[in-house]
Amino acid sequence: MITLNRKLKKEHTEPTNGLTTAESIVRRISVRDKLLIKEVQEMNENLPATCSVHFEDPNVLSEFILTVAPDEGYWQGGKFKFTVIVTEDYNMAPPRVKCQTRLWHPNINVDGDVCLSLLRQTSIDEHGWAPTRRLKDVVWGLNALFTDLLNFEDPLNIEAAEMYNKNKTEFQTKVQDYITKGKR
Amino acid sequence: MSGEDYDGLDRGDNDGQKPDKMFTLKKWNAVAMWSWDVECDTCAICRVQVMDACLRCQGESKKDSYGKQDCVVVWGECNHSFHFCCMSLWVKQNNRCPLCQQEWSIQRMGK
Ligand SMILES: [Zn+2]
Ligand SMILES: [Zn+2]
Ligand SMILES: [Zn+2]
Repeated sequence: MITLNRKLKKEHTEPTNGLTTAESIVRRISVRDKLLIKEVQEMNENLPATCSVHFEDPNVLSEFILTVAPDEGYWQGGKFKFTVIVTEDYNMAPPRVKCQTRLWHPNINVDGDVCLSLLRQTSIDEHGWAPTRRLKDVVWGLNALFTDLLNFEDPLNIEAAEMYNKNKTEFQTKVQDYITKGKR
Repeated sequence: MSGEDYDGLDRGDNDGQKPDKMFTLKKWNAVAMWSWDVECDTCAICRVQVMDACLRCQGESKKDSYGKQDCVVVWGECNHSFHFCCMSLWVKQNNRCPLCQQEWSIQRMGK
């Protein structure tokens, strides 16, 4: 890894307060980064056909963009970008996710906040975050927000859910309006 | 790992002595295999074998430890096992086993 080499070079010029160079380097790589090396690979190998992942900086595994292009349902034809930021306290805490594409969805509001149970830090049921979850589960969950996990019962965008319950055609039209507007 | 004793397996086919009975089972030794369950053997939190030091402790220098405790294994009442280090961090925010969601209580600790 390039990051490791860089750290190694830097280390030689710094006082090592009694530790050998190798030891202090190992110590500086956080648990999060060690987990990410495995999990990013696993995520890439298990990516659903409707998803793609992009790392702005290939040396930083803790920040990436997930693009979901649903191939069925109301949001078919759209492309939705999510920024995923894995904070230092991973995997005790879930990644922070924000939707960068404006869309009409009961579980994502127009500010890009995402309501997905597995991203909830504190949860009394088995659907919330747990350190046993991995990045691939997060990708799977976000992808499923457009299909299986789509939930009109407990909405974040209440207006969208109410519109769906009143008039599905109107809802569908508004969803597609947002998609067309986003393409312009 | 064969513990069976067959009698007459190789006889009877071509000489036709006892066409009604090909062979008799005289003795049967059951052999059970025992091995670690791979799933239970790995700490589901840091994904390192529970018998090894956890991901956090691995990053810490051994020489550097000022009488620091060994990284031990903890078993819950639900029989799931984790590194004590890993589990103690998690129960601070949610006192449930992350694998089965049961209320977490320690059954035993050790190596
Ligand atoms: Zn562990
Ligand atoms: Zn440990
Ligand atoms: Zn359990």
